[in-house]
Amino acid sequence: MASLIACPHCGRRPKEEFTVKGAALARPEPQAGADAWFDHVYLRDNPRGPYQEFWHHTSGCRRWLVVTRDTATHEVEEARDAALWNRETAR
Amino acid sequence: MTSYRLSQGGLIDRARPLSFSFDGKPMSGFAGDSLASALLANGQRLMGRSFKYHRPRGVLTAGAAEPNALMTIGKGGRTEPNTRATLQELYDGLTARSQNRWPSLDFDIGALNGLLSPFLSAGFYYKTFMWPAAFWEKLYEPFIRKAAGLGEAAKESDPDSFEKCWAHCDLLVIGAGATGLAAALTAGRAGARVILVDEQAELGGSLLSETATIGGVPAAQFAREATAELEALPNVRTLARTTAFGRYDGNVFGAVERVQKHVATPQVGRPVERLWRIVAGRALLATGAEERPLVFGGNDIPGVMMAGAARSYLNRTAVAPARQMAIFTTNDSGYALARDLEACGVALTAIIDSRPEGAAPGLYKGQARILTDALVRDAHGGKSLSAITIARQGRTETLRLDGLAVSGGFSPVIHLACHRGDKPVWSDAQGAFLAEDRKGLALAGAAAGLSGLAACYEAGARKAVALLDQLGIAATAGSVPTVEGDIVAPATKPLWSIPGIRGKAFIDFQNDVHRADLALAVREGYAHVELAKRYTTNGMATDQGKLSNVNAIGLLAEARGVSPAEVGTTTFRPFYTPVSFGALAGSSHGKHFQPVRQSPLHGWAKKNGARFVETGLWYRSAWFPRTGETTWRESVDREVRTVREAAGLCDVSMLGKIEITGKDAALFLDRVYCNGFANLPVGKARYGLMLREDGFIYDDGTTSRLAEDRFFMTTTTAYAAGVLNHLEFCAQALWPELDVRLASVTDQWAQMAIAGPLARTILQEIVDEDISNEAFPFLGARAVSLFNGALKGRLFRISFSGELAYELAVPAGYGESVADALMEIGKPKGLCAYGVEALSVLRIEKGHVTHNEINGTVVPADLGFGRMVSAKKADFIGKHMLAREGLTAGNRHQLVGVVPLDPAASFRTGAHILAKGAAATLENSLGHVSSSCYSPHVGSTIGLALVRAGSSRHGEEVMIWNGLRGEYTPGRLCDPVFIDPENAKLKI
Amino acid sequence: MSMTLRHHPVLGGKAALRLKDVTLEALPEGHVLQLLAAAPEAGPGLRERIGDSDLRPLAPGQWLLIGNAPLTPEDLTGLEERLKPVADIVDQSHGRVRIALSGPAARAVLAKGTAVNLDAAAFPVGHAAQTLIGHIGAHLARTGEDSFELTVLRGFAESLWDDLAQMAAEFA
Repeated sequence: MASLIACPHCGRRPKEEFTVKGAALARPEPQAGADAWFDHVYLRDNPRGPYQEFWHHTSGCRRWLVVTRDTATHEVEEARDAALWNRETAR
Repeated sequence: MTSYRLSQGGLIDRARPLSFSFDGKPMSGFAGDSLASALLANGQRLMGRSFKYHRPRGVLTAGAAEPNALMTIGKGGRTEPNTRATLQELYDGLTARSQNRWPSLDFDIGALNGLLSPFLSAGFYYKTFMWPAAFWEKLYEPFIRKAAGLGEAAKESDPDSFEKCWAHCDLLVIGAGATGLAAALTAGRAGARVILVDEQAELGGSLLSETATIGGVPAAQFAREATAELEALPNVRTLARTTAFGRYDGNVFGAVERVQKHVATPQVGRPVERLWRIVAGRALLATGAEERPLVFGGNDIPGVMMAGAARSYLNRTAVAPARQMAIFTTNDSGYALARDLEACGVALTAIIDSRPEGAAPGLYKGQARILTDALVRDAHGGKSLSAITIARQGRTETLRLDGLAVSGGFSPVIHLACHRGDKPVWSDAQGAFLAEDRKGLALAGAAAGLSGLAACYEAGARKAVALLDQLGIAATAGSVPTVEGDIVAPATKPLWSIPGIRGKAFIDFQNDVHRADLALAVREGYAHVELAKRYTTNGMATDQGKLSNVNAIGLLAEARGVSPAEVGTTTFRPFYTPVSFGALAGSSHGKHFQPVRQSPLHGWAKKNGARFVETGLWYRSAWFPRTGETTWRESVDREVRTVREAAGLCDVSMLGKIEITGKDAALFLDRVYCNGFANLPVGKARYGLMLREDGFIYDDGTTSRLAEDRFFMTTTTAYAAGVLNHLEFCAQALWPELDVRLASVTDQWAQMAIAGPLARTILQEIVDEDISNEAFPFLGARAVSLFNGALKGRLFRISFSGELAYELAVPAGYGESVADALMEIGKPKGLCAYGVEALSVLRIEKGHVTHNEINGTVVPADLGFGRMVSAKKADFIGKHMLAREGLTAGNRHQLVGVVPLDPAASFRTGAHILAKGAAATLENSLGHVSSSCYSPHVGSTIGLALVRAGSSRHGEEVMIWNGLRGEYTPGRLCDPVFIDPENAKLKI
Repeated sequence: MSMTLRHHPVLGGKAALRLKDVTLEALPEGHVLQLLAAAPEAGPGLRERIGDSDLRPLAPGQWLLIGNAPLTPEDLTGLEERLKPVADIVDQSHGRVRIALSGPAARAVLAKGTAVNLDAAAFPVGHAAQTLIGHIGAHLARTGEDSFELTVLRGFAESLWDDLAQMAAEFA
C-alpha cells in the first residue's frame, strides 16, 4: 500500500518515487585485488535489523541516498545524501 | 407480511419512504435504514444460506463483522456481490439478491449438504477428495465451487469510476463514537490538522444506537452537534462511509470511502469509491469493540442476534428484532437491551445470565424473568427461531420465542494496531486480547477495553492531548459532559464452552466451522492456532474471523488446558474488511492505465501513414505502408531498399539523450565507458560501451563533445532511464569530488536519422554550414544553423544503417515542421519515411548490435569489441572483473552472422545453433540466433547469433534448430557484417 | 533554403478547461532552462544574475528558470555567460511543458496524484517540488494560494493533461 522514505532534500515521499539498488557499499580502490572486487560485486550480508541501502529518488530530486532501514520492521532510521555519505563514511 | 417497524422513534426519516426489492420481492423502508434494518422491518429474517451446509441464516450484527447477511446488490456492471446488508445504506430502487442458494433462498437443494455433514467435517478437502486424483479437477473442484461459495462477480465492466487520494494530518482518529468524537473535538479545537474517519453513513458510532443522554441531550443529538462543530473547523476533515482498512510503514493508513455506493445512479465524474492514503503524524484507534457470540447449539438460526445489534436495530432504526425475545448474556450489557426493549414495548420473556451472581444490584428494574447461573444450551427452529432450551443447575427448560439476543462479552477492535507485526496481548482481567500503544499510534475507549460512555469520552480526549503533545501541539482535554442512563458493563470471565449441546454450535458462521470441527482439529494434532485455522478454515472467510477468532482461541485454550495467552492469535494483516478491486485499481484503467509517451515527430509519422508499435511507453513508427502494399514485409523491404539506394528519414527521438557538463565531464566519461573519451576532440562523436561493475556490457551509444566541458550522450531507448540513474549513481555516490552535471534532454530534441547515399544532398538544403565530407567527415558532431539562421540544431554524422547517414536534432517543438520540410525537399530524390522494422533490418545487415545481443551475458570481446577496451585507463566501471578467467576464455559465445544454405529457407530469432550432424538436444546447442530478418540486400533471411567460439567458425555449416516449432534449417556461420565490411560507404 | 517553420505546441489544441472550482490551462511554451551548479550546495549569486524569469528549485544544486516568452539564441548566450561562474544552463524550453491549475479545488485535484503535503504551512506560495502525479513525473510549483504550475516532460504532457482533466471532473 504505502511506505514513506524521508528524503533529506524533499521530505517524506512514497516508495513509488524511489528506486532501490541494494546494499550501500563503498567501491574498492582500483588496485584492491580480485578477491576484494569479487566480494564487492557478489557478496552481500542479509542481516535482520538495520541495513544500509542505496535508494535513488528517481521521481523527485534524483539524488542517490543511503537509507538505513530495519529489515525486520521496515523502520527507516536515517536517509542521507550519498555524496555526503561518500565523503564522510565511505573512505 | 407484518411490519416489525415501531410506530415511533429512531433516527430514520419517516417522511422519506424508499422502495427496494429483495429476491424480486418489492419492499419499503425509510431514509436512514440499512438494507438489513429495512429487511428486518419487512419481516425478512432469512437473508442467506451458509457457505458449506447451506443452512438458513439471518442477520447477526449491525456492522462490519456481519458473516451471514451478504447479498448481491445492483445490476449489470454495477453488480456488487458479497455486500454486507448491515453496512449498505438503503436507497430508492435498490435491488438485492440473496446468494449461495438454488433454486431459491426458501427452498435450497444445497441444504442437503447439512445431511452429508459427517463427510464435510474439518479437513474434508484434504481427506474426502484425495482419490482418485483425476477426479479433483473434473469433478470435486467444480462441485465444491458450485456448492460452496459467495456471490458471483459481474461479467460486464464496471461503468463507474474510482480514484485514489493522499491526505496528511497531525492526528488521524479512526472511529467516531464517544471516544473518537472526544479526541477529534479536543484536537480540532487546539488547531491541529485532524482527520476523523468512520465506516458508518453518519458519525456517532454507538451513540446513534444509545438511549443515554450526554450533556443533557440524547446521545445521537450530542453526536450530531459534535459533528457539526467538527465540520465547521477548517483544520478538520470528517470522512463518513470510510473504513480504515490497514496500517502501513511510516504511519500511513489505507482507507476506502464509499462516495456513491448509497445512490441508485452515481453522478458522472465523481468516483463511487475513493481509496485514501492518509499520512498520519499520530493516529488514535477509537474503533470500539466487537461483541462476542456464544457457542450453543443452533446459535445460527435466524432470530439469534448479537445483543448490541438488536439494540441498534431497535433504537436507531425503530425495528423490533422479534415479537417475543430472550437475552442470553455473560455481562451487564444485556440489561441495557432489556431496558430498551421494554421501553419500546417488545415482549421480553427472560434474561439468561451465565453468572451465578447476575447483574449488579439495582441495575435492572424491568419485568423480565431473570435466570442466573443459567445457559442457553440449544436454539431450535428451521428458517426462524421457535424455541430455546435452557440449562440451569442440572435442569433444562424450554422457552418458546422468536428472538434471542446474545452477548458473550467484548473483543476490542485492535486490528489496525497489529498490522505491522505487533502481537495482541491477552488480558485475564479484560477477558480479551488488547493491543499496546506504539510509536505513532494509541488506542482509546472500548478499543482499549473500556466500558461506559463517560470513561470512553474522557479517554479519547486525554489520549488526543498526549498524542498531540508528542508533536509539540498543545491541547487541553476539557471537562467530560454529564452522562445519564448509561449502563456500564465491566468485563466478565469469558464463557467458552457450554456443556450438553445437541445441535451444531457455530464458531465461524461464514465458513460454517462448528465446535466439533475444532475439537477434531485438536484430536488430530492441529491444536496450534495457525494450524487449527487452516485445518478448519476458521477465520478464513471474508469476515476474517471478526466474530469467531477469539471464541476459537478460547475453545482451543480450554481443550489444551492452557490460557488463551498461550494459544495466542493468528497474524493480523490488512485488509480489515474486503476492499473492491475497483478501489485498489483507482483510475488506472482504460486510457489512464499507463501514460503514453509521444515523440515530437508523432504527428509527422501519422501524416505519413505510420503503423505504430508500443515500445515501453513510447509509440514508435514501425513501418509506413504505401498504396498497393499488402504485407508489412513489402513495406519494410521497400523502405530498406530506398535507404540503400536513395535516402530515408527515421524518427529516433526516443533514444535517451543526456547532456553532461562540468569541468570533470571528460574524466567522468572515461570512468563510465570502457573505451577512452578524455581525448575525444570537440566536434566529434564516438561509439561507447558502458559496462556493469561485473564486466558485462550494460548499454551502448554515441557520445559527442560539443565543447570542452559539454558532452551529449545518446543511449538505447530501452535503457534511457537506467543509464541516467547509473550515471547519477556514479557522479553522486562513487565520485562526488568530480564536477560533473547531468541533465536528461530526451524530450528537448526531436531527432531524425537521414540515411542513404542522397542524405547529404537533401540535408545540405536546410543546413547553412558546409556538410561536405571534407568539412564534416564521418563522426563529426556540431551545432548547426538551419533554414538561413531561422533555427539552431545539432548534427551528428553517425550511421546505424551502414549508409552515409546523419542524425539531426532540432528543438522538439519544431521537429514536425523540419521533418515535413525534409520530406518535401527529398521527395524528388526518392526520400521515404522508414520505421523501426526497416531500421532493424538495416542494422542487422550491417552487423550492429542491440540489446538482443547485449543481453547481460556478453563482454566487449564477445561482440568483437575487445580492442575498444582501454588498457591505459587505471579505472573504469567493469575493468576489475573483466579480466576474470571465464570472461576471457576462447570458447565463449561470440557474435557471428548466420545464413541459410538455401536462400529460400528461413529461420527465426531464438533458434539454436547445432554443429552439423549433432543430435538436436539442448546439450548440443552451440548458441542461439539473437536477431534475424529478411535481408533485401543478401536476398535471404540473415541472422546474428551468439555461438560458442563463433569468431573462429566463419564458414562452418550448422543446423539451425527451432525446437518449439520443430524446424530445422541447414545454415552457415559467417562474418556478422553483411554489407560494406570496409565501411567505405560511411566515408564518402 | 528558406521555408516557413512552424512551432507545434504540444498542448496547442487544448482549450482551457474551466470548471466550477478549478481551471486547467496549458501555458505558453516560452522558456524553461535547467540550471546546474557545480555542487549540490552551490547557488549563491544566482538570483542577481538572472532577469525577470521565475527561478524555481528543482533539486540540490539545480533550478528551473521559467518564463512565458521564448528566448532568442542571443538571450540564451548572454545568460549562459552571466551564469557561467555559478551554473551551467541546459535549455529545456522544448523538453518541458507547463500546465496551470487554479481554483479552490486545485489542491484537492493534486492530492489525487501526489503524496506531497500541499498544506499552506508545508508547501507555501513560492515552494516547488519534483514529484509523481499518478504515474507521471512532474515539477510542481505553488504560484498562489489556490494556483499551481506543473512542468512535465513534453512526451508525457498530453497524458498528464488527460489525467488532470479526469481528476478535476468532480469539480464541474
